[in-house]
Amino acid sequence: MVRVEVKLKKGHFDPEGDVTTKSLRDLGFPVSGVRVSKVYTVELEVNDKERAMSLAREMCRKLLANPTKDDFFIEVLAGEGGVN
Amino acid sequence: MDLSRAKACIARVGGTNCDLEMKVALENLGLTAEVLHMKQILKRGLSEYQLFVLPGGFSYGDYVRAGAIWGKEVHSKIKSELEAFIDEEKLVMGVCNGFQVMIEAGILPNGELVEVPKAALANNMSAKYECRWVYLRVERGGTPFTGDLETGEILKIPVGHGEGRFIPASEDFLKELIEEGCVLFRYSMPSGEAAEGRYPYNPNGSVYDIAGICNRKGNVMGMMPHPERAFFGWQLPEERNVPYGDGKRIFQGIIKYLQKY
Amino acid sequence: MKEGLIRKVPGVSVVEIDLSRAEDKDLSEISQTMGLALSLREMKALKEHYSRPLTDVEIQTFGQTWSEHCIHKTFKGIVEVEGGRRINGLLKEYIMKATKELNKPWCYSVFEDNAGLIEFDQDYLVAAKVETHNHPSAVEPFGGAATGVGGVIRDILGVWGEPIANIDVLCFGPLDLPYETLPHGLKHPKYIYKGVIAGIGSYGNNMGIPTVSGAIFFDSGYVGNPVVYCGCVGILPKGFYVKDTKEGDYAVLAGGRTGRDGIHGVTFASTDLMEDTDRLRPAVQIPNPLVEERLRRAIITIRDRRLASGITDLGGGGISCATGEMANRSGLGIEVSLDVVHLKEPDLAPWEIWISESQERMLLSVPERNLGDVLEVFEDEDVEACVLGRFNGSRRLRVYHRGLVVCDLDLEFLYSPPRAIRKASHVEYVPTPCALPEPKDLAEELLRILSDPNIRSKEDVIRTYDHEVRGCTAIKPLQGDLSGPNDAAIIKPLRDSWMGVVISCGITPFYPDPYWMAAASIEEAIRNNTSVGGRRIALLDNFVWGNPEREDRMGSLVRAAEACYDFSKALDAPFISGKDSLYNESPLGPVRPTLLITGIGIIPDVRKAVTVELKEEGDPLYVLGVTRNELAGSIYLKSKGLNGGECPKVNAKISKDTTQSLIKAMDSGLVAACHDVSEGGIGVAAAEMVMAANLGLSIDLRNVPSDVNRSDVLLFSESTSRFLVEVKRDCVREFEEILQGVPHCKVGVVGGNSFRIFGLDGSTWEVGISELRHAWRGVDGP
Repeated sequence: MVRVEVKLKKGHFDPEGDVTTKSLRDLGFPVSGVRVSKVYTVELEVNDKERAMSLAREMCRKLLANPTKDDFFIEVLAGEGGVN
Repeated sequence: MDLSRAKACIARVGGTNCDLEMKVALENLGLTAEVLHMKQILKRGLSEYQLFVLPGGFSYGDYVRAGAIWGKEVHSKIKSELEAFIDEEKLVMGVCNGFQVMIEAGILPNGELVEVPKAALANNMSAKYECRWVYLRVERGGTPFTGDLETGEILKIPVGHGEGRFIPASEDFLKELIEEGCVLFRYSMPSGEAAEGRYPYNPNGSVYDIAGICNRKGNVMGMMPHPERAFFGWQLPEERNVPYGDGKRIFQGIIKYLQKY
Repeated sequence: MKEGLIRKVPGVSVVEIDLSRAEDKDLSEISQTMGLALSLREMKALKEHYSRPLTDVEIQTFGQTWSEHCIHKTFKGIVEVEGGRRINGLLKEYIMKATKELNKPWCYSVFEDNAGLIEFDQDYLVAAKVETHNHPSAVEPFGGAATGVGGVIRDILGVWGEPIANIDVLCFGPLDLPYETLPHGLKHPKYIYKGVIAGIGSYGNNMGIPTVSGAIFFDSGYVGNPVVYCGCVGILPKGFYVKDTKEGDYAVLAGGRTGRDGIHGVTFASTDLMEDTDRLRPAVQIPNPLVEERLRRAIITIRDRRLASGITDLGGGGISCATGEMANRSGLGIEVSLDVVHLKEPDLAPWEIWISESQERMLLSVPERNLGDVLEVFEDEDVEACVLGRFNGSRRLRVYHRGLVVCDLDLEFLYSPPRAIRKASHVEYVPTPCALPEPKDLAEELLRILSDPNIRSKEDVIRTYDHEVRGCTAIKPLQGDLSGPNDAAIIKPLRDSWMGVVISCGITPFYPDPYWMAAASIEEAIRNNTSVGGRRIALLDNFVWGNPEREDRMGSLVRAAEACYDFSKALDAPFISGKDSLYNESPLGPVRPTLLITGIGIIPDVRKAVTVELKEEGDPLYVLGVTRNELAGSIYLKSKGLNGGECPKVNAKISKDTTQSLIKAMDSGLVAACHDVSEGGIGVAAAEMVMAANLGLSIDLRNVPSDVNRSDVLLFSESTSRFLVEVKRDCVREFEEILQGVPHCKVGVVGGNSFRIFGLDGSTWEVGISELRHAWRGVDGP
């Protein structure tokens, strides 16, 4: 399994994060900022860690992220049906 | 060509929902417009059409990113077909979700289906869906889609989207777009001066107030506002006792172009 | 519980319950542990009828079919009113009775199907339905509200209607409620508010149906019980309304998969919300508008190709109620197999599949010759479908699971539940004097009221709903760049006709007398409709009340129902559909009794519709109707934390004459702008007309038809049957002629760049347009 996190690049304004920050501050939490990201847990049909990594990178390039605004982070997870 | 032989294909997938009003607008001007599911397009191809429209909606639920999944589908399944269509100087138009799809498919900004998009339509600055009428300034008249308009004219047309903030890949790329006449519509003040990001005139925080762009030749165009919702006079919020609204002017450009095509 | 009453059936996930040996306390315990929400009386009726053990599938079927939600026990039951009066059903004696007596030829199908159907023109019908989704929204605001929208859209699909507009009326606790005062287990109004609004926007926008009409109220009476009304309006060609299921037809289930979400939604809606709301989440359905959008396409195609003989949506009670009702309605029986149902998870027990309320599902009856075509249409639209069973002449509901019969019930008995008997006390508001000294500065009062949460512009919310999609919205909820609040929305549904459907709401929950509250709500729905040019108005009623087993709650319900008969009849507007949501109770007590009246009118030419904003400098402004000292429940008093005063009443004769004359004036082209006078009185209505344009206005309170001797009362009283009308300058004589016999007077002139008020004693107050806007919208510009 791989865990892919897609989030806005540094310096890009995150409206959802901004609104959430305000809302949390309204509730009295000492919050100075929130960034929202999206996480995809992908079950892969391969067992090779390197290959999993490169496939996930390819997925981000082709679908999961838009490089104009998004950064992505990939983590290969050990586990059932995943990489040992 | 003879307009009675010209045909528009309005594409749809699950979640498309602005196909009906698009068809009404095109048919009102005498064009034959067919709504086709992507499945049918894959079978029939695009050769019999002169106008390919990607209408608004929430294609595939706008999962991943607005327009992303349909965009990638277009890219993977009808890339060469669509490239040929564009090369023949036929017209491709995307509105709202259709524009998002074009960006994600790489059809715009360049008019060639690149794999990695060079722009994005990000969440509105207000972090909300925005349904409101906006003022657009025509930045380049006389293109296939602005054949009935002159540079500097002001149009009043509604938007309805949550992700419409245009972001180019870089400053340089933005310059390139401007210099090459690819910025077609900008959000403006009622007077025509640039909105300069001022909300709600610029409803989403688009860079350079960009509301719609086209390729260099101008035969491929995408815009966030909905001209099909400002087609008839009765659809307008204020001056309702006129036969048509400003949206019609864009469709008239299409008709002019197709008549000469 | 007595031993041996419940027995597991070997080999399948079914248990049998032997009611014949159960004592009363066992019956109550069974009802409770199985989540049936059946009363002891109902359990006893089951015990008497069946000597054999019932399966859990069967008992659950009764729990669903006999629920408040599915059969409206309270509205159909007998009511014994304090003093010995006996009412033979509120629905029959009041609400439906008015419709029956009015006997309008344009009422096509009323109180029968999933939605009310009225004629639009010669060839088309308009379908309308409004539902509530209060409990689910209190527990899981986003999902609860979204599935509320999804559900009511399916009601329209369930009469073969193409959805053309959504309606949403919402009531919440005060958004600034201190967190400390919130009882454990309840969610903060702000959390509920945000979730509900996002849920409604998400579903409607995703489906591409414009959300065009609604209202939002805030009151401490909604902290424990938020109210979420979701409505939908549709259109269909007349000949395509087909409900003719025949023996041998197949039952086809299509749409989303069936899962554990929404198990016991129905019984959940029929009990008080007393538990910790977090524990109730599994009963909330999960929305997926993408599936419903495809389902809509498929159903409209099936309709247009005339492939099916009947249709119904899956709402409360899931497959159990949809199959049972469809068979019963056609005088048939049905055999169903649970093995073919597409499931979200594999290990569902038969009773769970049977009553699950998973969303986005519809049931169709299809003649054998069309079965292949129907399945193909669903496949083309990527909608999952299965052939669930077949209709027969047995009059029985028989269900198979893995080859075994797990349910075999007689439909006659299933659809003849014991009639509920409710007791009602007499409820009436006795006016108390209201000790309010006359304030000096009415401008200040006006600004304060304009910024009250109940009056303030709801633009922040309205613009997150797409009200333009489909390109058919002629009159929008917000008027122009300056977002004036139009009184009703107009949809132009057909390409080749100028006719429009006019959609309005009437809701006055703060008026303390239940009878006059209902009367005012009905009159307001009609008034709002008339304001834009609507006529031939049909009404929908949606009651949200507390526990009807409590005599005081039932007492006020009876009074409200009485008003529904009286004013539907007197104002010549029949009810065509309705729905009640009772048992809205929380640790904070019952919900504020709330009646939403939805008005569905028509306008012959949408181009002649009238909007709210002032149009032309120099035009005169008229007040229609009489202003009385009726401040009870007004925003003026409420915003000061005061009670007392007279409740606004309705004079049906004046109301009817006024709306008729006004429509005549509009059709003659004399009216430039119009706004109904409701919350906040003449002051707020006039200010809204000013803010919607960049034109000032002066009004002289001395000219307002009235016997009131205080300027503040004249400005803020909420007497019914009133309009503010801007008349075109050169049409005054003609207007006056048409208005003969109707109370009216010219009170002001359009012009300048401020709102000026002349008081009874000659005092003058002046407020700048920008100041008004800051109070009402928070910003000055668009």
